[in-house]
Amino acid sequence: MPAQANANVIALQLEKVRDKVPLLYERDDILLTMIQQRGDIEKVSSRNMRLPLQVNPGGKAGSYNADGGDLGRGSGTIYDVAQVSPIFFRFAIEITKLVEYATTGRERAVENSTKREVANGMKQFRAFLDKLIQTAGNGVLGTISSFATTTWTMATPPGAALVYVGQTLQVYDSTLTTNRGTCNVVAADPISPTQTITVDANPGGLTNGDVIVHDGLSGAQPTSLFGIKYHQNNATTGTWLNLNRATYPVQLQTPRVNAGNAALTPANVRLAINKVRKALGINHLSKLIAYMAVEQEHAWENLGITVSQIIKEGGGGGSNDLDLLFTGRKTMSGIPIKSSVNADQTRVDFLDLSHWGRAVLKDIDFYEVNGNTVFPIYGASGGLAASYIFYFDTAFQVWSDSPRSGAFIDTLARPAGY
Amino acid sequence: MIQVIRERHETPESVARRLCLAGGTNRYGEANYRAVWGWNRLGWIGGKFEDRDGRGDLIREVVELRWEPKYPQLNRWHVERWVPAEAYGSPRAWCAQTMECAGGRSVAALGPYPERGEYEHCFTLQGSRGEFVQLTPTIAEHVARAIEWARGRNPAAQRAKLYEREAREERAYEEWAFEVMDDGTPAFGGVPMVAVG
Repeated sequence: MPAQANANVIALQLEKVRDKVPLLYERDDILLTMIQQRGDIEKVSSRNMRLPLQVNPGGKAGSYNADGGDLGRGSGTIYDVAQVSPIFFRFAIEITKLVEYATTGRERAVENSTKREVANGMKQFRAFLDKLIQTAGNGVLGTISSFATTTWTMATPPGAALVYVGQTLQVYDSTLTTNRGTCNVVAADPISPTQTITVDANPGGLTNGDVIVHDGLSGAQPTSLFGIKYHQNNATTGTWLNLNRATYPVQLQTPRVNAGNAALTPANVRLAINKVRKALGINHLSKLIAYMAVEQEHAWENLGITVSQIIKEGGGGGSNDLDLLFTGRKTMSGIPIKSSVNADQTRVDFLDLSHWGRAVLKDIDFYEVNGNTVFPIYGASGGLAASYIFYFDTAFQVWSDSPRSGAFIDTLARPAGY
Repeated sequence: MIQVIRERHETPESVARRLCLAGGTNRYGEANYRAVWGWNRLGWIGGKFEDRDGRGDLIREVVELRWEPKYPQLNRWHVERWVPAEAYGSPRAWCAQTMECAGGRSVAALGPYPERGEYEHCFTLQGSRGEFVQLTPTIAEHVARAIEWARGRNPAAQRAKLYEREAREERAYEEWAFEVMDDGTPAFGGVPMVAVG
């Protein structure tokens, strides 16, 4: 009987924390988890989930001649079916034997380091998926506007906001046809105006205008998580959830306000909100949130017509009962603001999340093979390497059953200093 | 049975006076700040309206300019701040930005150019869970002073504060996550208690 290795008991340690994984994942503080798994939808199988949509009303209205006139024929409501199929995502965590040796306290220390890796890994996985939900459904995380050796200057939006250090990226040409190869991010600067990322080695044939996508995608025009820019889109060509946008150019179009590279104004906001009201009813705004990057939240503050968060932190005349009114409820023309460092820096999206949902094939959990959740790594010799690996995986897709229930402002200028 | 479909309230004189004292007046001698009741505050909305019934089914489409409630929270008090006309660009730019073509007609989606400026939304008076809060002169003054205070802040400091908030939320998540993961750990991390003294 071989000696028991940590890799043999690490599975037990992971088992101890297993029930906490969904808790870490489903915390309601990022856009991804604000979009709920819908209780009215069955867990989907590997077949497409079908969303029946009422695309056109039925009935023929008109006057008629009661003195023997022809009342004419009628018509019925027209439905079509949108379809979504889940995408599998994984997050691999690899721990070396040194972690075990470097921590004191034997099993307890190992268990704590495992727990810490689970917590850190889950945070990073959630962040990765939240970054994906900002995209247009093709996995594109950025566009390389220029490069100098292995430092790439990224076009804004989204700049370097959607990558993290250590992430494996793939580079495609601008038409998403040619996969130029992979690289790893060694540095990323999403804050400064230059918006650069540095990689370990450039893929062959790298060209200005190439795009970066996340690891795991393959083939031309890959499909990834359907994000905000997929569902909140005013295109009249292409497909949306397997429906041809050209067939329903009005029904599938999200109202857009083009800011023309100018700064955010109250008029932009009112135009966008009013477009929703005109389409859905004057009082149909109660569920909207204004989703934007921190930059646009700052632009809104710069207009000087909102109560900034700073007040709560000490500037508003000290703490008293009135400060309860300022508990983070910043609004944009009465619509609650939800901001994110991952959101497009030049957009404001008005989202009605009651029309959004997640079609889930597999809930977040450890990847499991015959009851095993942790796996050894093998060295080049074929012997064991001094490390082990475990994975989180999940399979889902994001859908919206009413693209017209939102609106967006795009091509906004970023405030000075970004 | 009497059904109230539209509840209107005028702003109390005492509230208006306190807001005027706190925020001053604009170039027209009007208060920079004012409080309005949601149902009283109307604004222009122009374009193609899709009128729907209670089930959400489309009844008709009509292109027109309507005078409708401006804010979604109808049964709440709102504090507004006056914004000068120049903040909306030139009349020509306003026209270019807000004119919508629908059904062969051009309609100004936000109505005519606000040549005397316009009052814009600052704050909806409600509790942290969205509950109704009555407007009092003290609250109105506090809100106006808070907004004025925020306006005086350095934009760079404001920006830094926003990123600090994001970092704080990140740290809060991490702390919470480690607490969740450690909640099965014995008290004091399993270290035996030692008698002192």
